[in-house]
Amino acid sequence: MHWKNIKSIIRPGFPTRLALLTLLAAMGCGDAPPSSVAPVIEVWAHAGQEEERKTLQDQVSRFNAAHPGGTVRLTLIPEGSYNAQVLAAAVAGDLPDLLEFDGPFLYAYVWQGRLQPLDRLLPKALLDDLLPSIIAQGTYHGRLWSVGTFDSGLGLYADGRQLARADVRLPTLQRPWSRTEFRQVLAQLARDDPDGQVLDLKLNYAGEWYTYAFSPLIQSAGGDLVDRDGDGRAAGVLNRLETVRAMKEIQGWIGGGRVDPNIDDAAFVTGRVALALGGHWNAPQYRDRIGRHLMVLPLPDFGRGPRTGQGSWSWAVTAESAQPEAAARFLAFLLRPEEVLNMTEANNAVPATQTAVARSPLYRPGGPLHLFVAQLERGVAVPRPRTPAYPVITAAFQRAFDRIRSGGSVQGALDRAVRVIDEEIEDNQGYPLIGRARKEAMR
Amino acid sequence: MSRRPGFGNQTPIALLLAGPALAGLFLFYLIPFLTALLLAFTNLRLGSPLPVTFVGLTQFRRIFTDPDFLHAVANTLTFAAAVVPLQTLLALGLALLVNRGLRGTVIFRTLFFMPVVFPMSLVAVVWILIYAPGPGGMMNAGIDLLTGGWWTARDFLRDPLLALPSIMLLSIWQGTGFQMVILLAGLQGIPESLYEAAALDGAGAWQCFRHVTLPQLRRPIAFVMFVTTILAFRLFDQVQIMTRGGPDNATTTVMYETVQAVFARQQVSRASAMTVVFFVLVLGVTWIQRRLSHRGQEAS
Amino acid sequence: MKRILAAAVTYAALGALAFAFAAPVAMMVAGSLKPDERVLVEAGTAAAFFPAGASLQNYADVFARTEFHRFFFNSLFITGSIVVSGLLVNSLAAYAFARLQWRGRDLCFNLVLAIMILPFETIAVPLFYGISIFGLRDTYTAQILPFIANAFSIVLFYTFFVGLPRELEEAARLDGAGTLRIFFSIIAPNAKPVFASAAILSFLMWWGAYLWPMMVTIGPAKRPLPVAIASFYTLPPLQWGDILAFGVMMVAPVLLVFLIFQRGFVRGVAASAVKG
Repeated sequence: MHWKNIKSIIRPGFPTRLALLTLLAAMGCGDAPPSSVAPVIEVWAHAGQEEERKTLQDQVSRFNAAHPGGTVRLTLIPEGSYNAQVLAAAVAGDLPDLLEFDGPFLYAYVWQGRLQPLDRLLPKALLDDLLPSIIAQGTYHGRLWSVGTFDSGLGLYADGRQLARADVRLPTLQRPWSRTEFRQVLAQLARDDPDGQVLDLKLNYAGEWYTYAFSPLIQSAGGDLVDRDGDGRAAGVLNRLETVRAMKEIQGWIGGGRVDPNIDDAAFVTGRVALALGGHWNAPQYRDRIGRHLMVLPLPDFGRGPRTGQGSWSWAVTAESAQPEAAARFLAFLLRPEEVLNMTEANNAVPATQTAVARSPLYRPGGPLHLFVAQLERGVAVPRPRTPAYPVITAAFQRAFDRIRSGGSVQGALDRAVRVIDEEIEDNQGYPLIGRARKEAMR
Repeated sequence: MSRRPGFGNQTPIALLLAGPALAGLFLFYLIPFLTALLLAFTNLRLGSPLPVTFVGLTQFRRIFTDPDFLHAVANTLTFAAAVVPLQTLLALGLALLVNRGLRGTVIFRTLFFMPVVFPMSLVAVVWILIYAPGPGGMMNAGIDLLTGGWWTARDFLRDPLLALPSIMLLSIWQGTGFQMVILLAGLQGIPESLYEAAALDGAGAWQCFRHVTLPQLRRPIAFVMFVTTILAFRLFDQVQIMTRGGPDNATTTVMYETVQAVFARQQVSRASAMTVVFFVLVLGVTWIQRRLSHRGQEAS
Repeated sequence: MKRILAAAVTYAALGALAFAFAAPVAMMVAGSLKPDERVLVEAGTAAAFFPAGASLQNYADVFARTEFHRFFFNSLFITGSIVVSGLLVNSLAAYAFARLQWRGRDLCFNLVLAIMILPFETIAVPLFYGISIFGLRDTYTAQILPFIANAFSIVLFYTFFVGLPRELEEAARLDGAGTLRIFFSIIAPNAKPVFASAAILSFLMWWGAYLWPMMVTIGPAKRPLPVAIASFYTLPPLQWGDILAFGVMMVAPVLLVFLIFQRGFVRGVAASAVKG
């Protein structure tokens, strides 16, 4: 019984039929998808900003018009708790042919045997055109499992006029602000600021933002979330001295009254702060407000050179898909330079292929946001840890960060996160590649 | 249940009538509950390719040495300990005021009851705006006005000391009307003759309240407190929407931790162990409540 | 004189409390009519309660930015299904417990009483697990079926039915009426208040339910209002006027029903509880 049929039942005499309807719903008939003979490629994607949504819908229509053989059917799922939702949906084996997810969740999907490798499904020329950061994020156990059509950029936005007024040196990727220099910059800016709050850390975002935006500062200090080269655990890494010092520094900015809580998400556009940590997605709004005075600067260097975040939404073909080639064809379509540009014009993200970058007015060399590309190409950007434990790592880190930003003990918060993460890794026996995942990796 | 000579064998028709409800309770309450008891002793995770094994009391040992969970238990108990008496007192006060039978009290009763029809998630979102930090925030400005300028603006939901009380306040705002209505019905059920007799004995207003109203309201008050306690234990929506357990665990609750475990981390077994703890808490309160009300009955 | 003074004090207390209870609602309604950027700015002033130059722009924005009509229908359908089928299923069961003689009755009734103290939260985790492995997430079934049978509702009906005079039924039974006929033509018409109580309580509970639908819905297709308002709040850009307009539309119909039938509403809630 399909939902449309139920609607047709409703129309005549709604109240009297409600009981019947209820019975139908109760028997589980209300939800079964209609059976269909035409090959349909099921696609799930996150419902991003409006233009992003619309672009993807247009892309689907264009693909369907050009490929009468099989049609793509798109389901948009809200971003809020997308990952938890989809990971749970995977348990019932209800995944579509092509699935989008936030990049660092890839490894959990692979380990659970939900995906099949992409490297043999996409043309080699296309793979060679992808930015190194896209390949890095999509690779696990020696295979490429997912690719994005765009990558992300993280930087410090600044109002050039305010920096000039405070007479501070402008940083570059080669010569970023050091930890102490950054502290001085904040102090200098604060002198001209009525409330002394001169930095927006987008504390209102919470969630994944904490891990995405603040773990690069930890890495710049010589710490990390987990041991990437060794056993993958957090002990001695997430709670080591370097990590603690980095988090104490951030806590100091907040505790010292330099950070705007940004409850209205407008600290930068209303001119309350001169500096705003932010992603590529903030750029259009910021440029609308301050135009050519907008500057994009690298994050401060906490000792080992500047680091920044990377990674964004990625696509993968699911293990159960009966038509992986067709799904990959749609993915290859999304990765055509013109389609990549359509999407990145809508969401302002960094195009995922070199060809598209070269054609992008924003991101090509000399473009106003080229810094984001440079960061991705020169290894300044660090992927989030490539382990199935990532959902737990990020949840634990978010919690620790919340505690730290509220003024709690840094060492204590990180020690707790370490315990949670390592317990999880131990419980999963270090994530051995077994069962379906092993079979898929050999495919 | 009273037994009477039957009209033939009624078992088939009774099973037909009670069958759907019993099947529902069995399938969706009893079986899941027993499953939770069982799963709490395993290492089951949603979607894990590793085999499920029996791990004994490991999950319980973990949650009881997990500072986050212990914080959650403490917060839940604190929330109940503060909200239950405050809300009951406020509801009783409102019921007494409304019950004085002055003109226009229907309007007041309506106003006090109105928040009850607001879904908690909507209340939480609206109160985020009310609690906006800075002197321009509604709550900050209101308190500033009431204290004649002595108040320094706070960020209520991010203040480790104020976050939980802030959630308490909106919970009371939303829930009091419900208790008020129940107590009001209790008040209206007190026979007028009792008051007349008390007045003949020369009792004043306070003595009437103390010796007639309160004893007569014993049952509804006990009921209201019981229901509020259970509701307090279930605290989740406000926390999920307003604070996500923060700042620094100040508002995390047993239910919030449970949902975090099963939903964000796929740890079904650990969440099941938390469910068992939650159940024991509820059972404890029910037992205490029963004991107190029985003792009360014997006394009166 | 003393009486007038007492009345004045009562009115003053009532007025102050009424303000405290009404202020958030007034702010919500006023804010929903204002331009987005003025909502937060004016929140701390008297202007919070008065929308100067009111417009319905925010309401239009809600329909443009979300599928409000769909969420509303979902809530109505889910809650309606639970309430209507719950009334039927639970009252029939209660009648069987209250009036019929059958084997296993006492055992089953004790079971119902035991289940009554299990809040939904104690079964959320295993139920979520079950719904996940059976592939029932993001369905109406998962949001309706588990909540139709309700122990509290059964006990509520039971208490009422036990209190009804037996003579009503015995006459009909001697005339040869069957059990179902007796229930529908004699018991149900005499039990309107308890049906109203059960309906109102169950409606309030599921109309506002957040935890379970948050866990089992995936996309907007089957999402009810309480989950929708929470996710609308997190949908950038944050526009308070739109959020408040969403809130007003979400609560207005229920508020209206409550205001029209408020005497019955209040009585229904109260009556249910005193006996419980």
